[in-house]
Amino acid sequence: MKKSIIATLLLAVSVCALPFVISPFVLFMLTEVLIMAIFAMSLGLIMGYGGLQSLGHSAFFGIGAYSVAVLSEHLTSIYLLLPAAIIISGLFALLTGLIAIRNKGIFFLMITLAFTQMLFLLFRQSDLWGGADGVGTSVKPNLGFMEIASPLSLFYFVGVFFVLAYFILRLFVNSPLGKGLKGIMENEGRMVALGYHVKKYQIIAYVLAGGLAGLAGGLYVFKTQFASPELFSVHMATTVLIMVFIGGMGTLFGPVIGAGVFIFLQNYISTMTDRWSLIMGLLFIVIVLYNRGGILQLLQLITKKLTPKKNLLMDKKGATIIELNESGKAK
Amino acid sequence: MDLFIVNTLSGLTYGMLLFLMASGLSIVFGLMRIINLAHGSFFLFGSYVAYAMVSRGMNFWLALLLATICVTVLAFLLEKFLISRFHGNEASQVLLTLGLIFVIGDISLWIWGGDFLSIPVPSIMDFSFAINESSFPIYRLFVIAIGIACAVLLWYFETKTKVGMIVRAGVDDMEMVGALGFNIRLIFTAVFLFGAALAAIGGVLSGPILGMYPKMEFEILVNSLVIVLIGGLGSWKGAFIGAILIGIIDSFGKIYLPDVSVLLIFVVMVIVLMFKPTGLFGRVES
Repeated sequence: MKKSIIATLLLAVSVCALPFVISPFVLFMLTEVLIMAIFAMSLGLIMGYGGLQSLGHSAFFGIGAYSVAVLSEHLTSIYLLLPAAIIISGLFALLTGLIAIRNKGIFFLMITLAFTQMLFLLFRQSDLWGGADGVGTSVKPNLGFMEIASPLSLFYFVGVFFVLAYFILRLFVNSPLGKGLKGIMENEGRMVALGYHVKKYQIIAYVLAGGLAGLAGGLYVFKTQFASPELFSVHMATTVLIMVFIGGMGTLFGPVIGAGVFIFLQNYISTMTDRWSLIMGLLFIVIVLYNRGGILQLLQLITKKLTPKKNLLMDKKGATIIELNESGKAK
Repeated sequence: MDLFIVNTLSGLTYGMLLFLMASGLSIVFGLMRIINLAHGSFFLFGSYVAYAMVSRGMNFWLALLLATICVTVLAFLLEKFLISRFHGNEASQVLLTLGLIFVIGDISLWIWGGDFLSIPVPSIMDFSFAINESSFPIYRLFVIAIGIACAVLLWYFETKTKVGMIVRAGVDDMEMVGALGFNIRLIFTAVFLFGAALAAIGGVLSGPILGMYPKMEFEILVNSLVIVLIGGLGSWKGAFIGAILIGIIDSFGKIYLPDVSVLLIFVVMVIVLMFKPTGLFGRVES
């Protein structure tokens, strides 16, 4: 708990400090990074802690986005819009989760994919909310006492939710619920034998992840003023999957780094070439081929290598014979 | 009544195209426990390659053959150098084949552009036959025939030949088959290539009917996945029944329930999975 609060405060301070050290253009991009980071963290929860690989996580993002975009025609207060986004996507997560979680592994993946594609086709075909063109809005986050208009305040607005999402996830992961979830991922049979209600843990995590992805989708509309069926697409689901993998599975902060790296790469490479999709695919394959964890694990490995180690004299098999001091003499 | 027959036939046509794709997906999964998400890319790539040849004046049938060979070679390279490294590692397979979708898709976009393309119907079949007042293109009937022929071929292979026996045993217990002295690697590769070839044939045959456009592979892939889930993983019979079901539902849904037709096949999938989580003919535990 104490550690979580410290980590969250550190994160909050760095989010607050960021606008002072970067240019306005990068700030605009960083707002997107934070939104996608919430999205990626939520997927990271069910994949890295629940072992549930989903190719349908974009469903919740899209539902959150459409909730805000459609409802904003009638109301503007964020105190209604964002909870609506969270609740509707959370409910969808509950409904589909109850069906999908009966299956494991590849079956789970295929069913979540099918649900997402269903929404994609439905929203693209239906005339109700703009069909294939999507629905535009001109909603500004209305806090009740002020309206957020400038890019800087939007950044802070999103930043608040980002830090909050991180804090909630951190609490969840360290709670008995989160630990149970991880135990199920590592050895389901044992957890069943211990009397854990496996499906319950997975459903709770799935709904939490769905709700947070919905929140990210809602925030996304505040930034782009637009929701389109593309948000539901497999492409979107894959994008967020890549973020989680680049950053590092099984960590909370990994997906955040993944989101950052991905969006910066996408923005810079897209300005240079049209072949971003090709590069992304190759990147994906390379990551899989050399999969030793994501960037976060890599960083941890490097810091471990860089931190001064004890000087050891080893025999040919690598077993330690004696410890040496800096001048190379035995202690 | 005419309309009913025509709809049933076009549903069957679509179903048979999906069957060519889904049967490979299903057998490959049943045997190797590999979910090849790039299977849809084989389908689309096959039709693009055939388009490139036909548009340069090549005979349709020759193009069908060459495109199938081309895709099979591609599948061989991918299997040998990439996919075979990740046997038994589901997560990596999913990611790897997802990456391949983007690579193959973007290369296709690069070469053939983003427009809707289609292969002209081969001239020998470019006519329709009459059903009372309505008419139905003979080419589509030919596609149905090919689909059924493939099903018969698969049935023959599975039940009457030694190869089929080995594959059947492999779906149940691959390790034991290996222990009995059969070359598992060779069987894996052969089945993978066979599946890819079927997908390519389906892709080329669909060229005059569905056409080609970017991101089509996702649509085909998802429909095939639904079929595989309904039919049961590892069973081509399941894929056959599932494909017919989905094809007919799709065809009639578009006419009688146009607003929700895209949902119908998923509703069917959910219902089937609720009552039979392994699918209709599936033996693979989920």
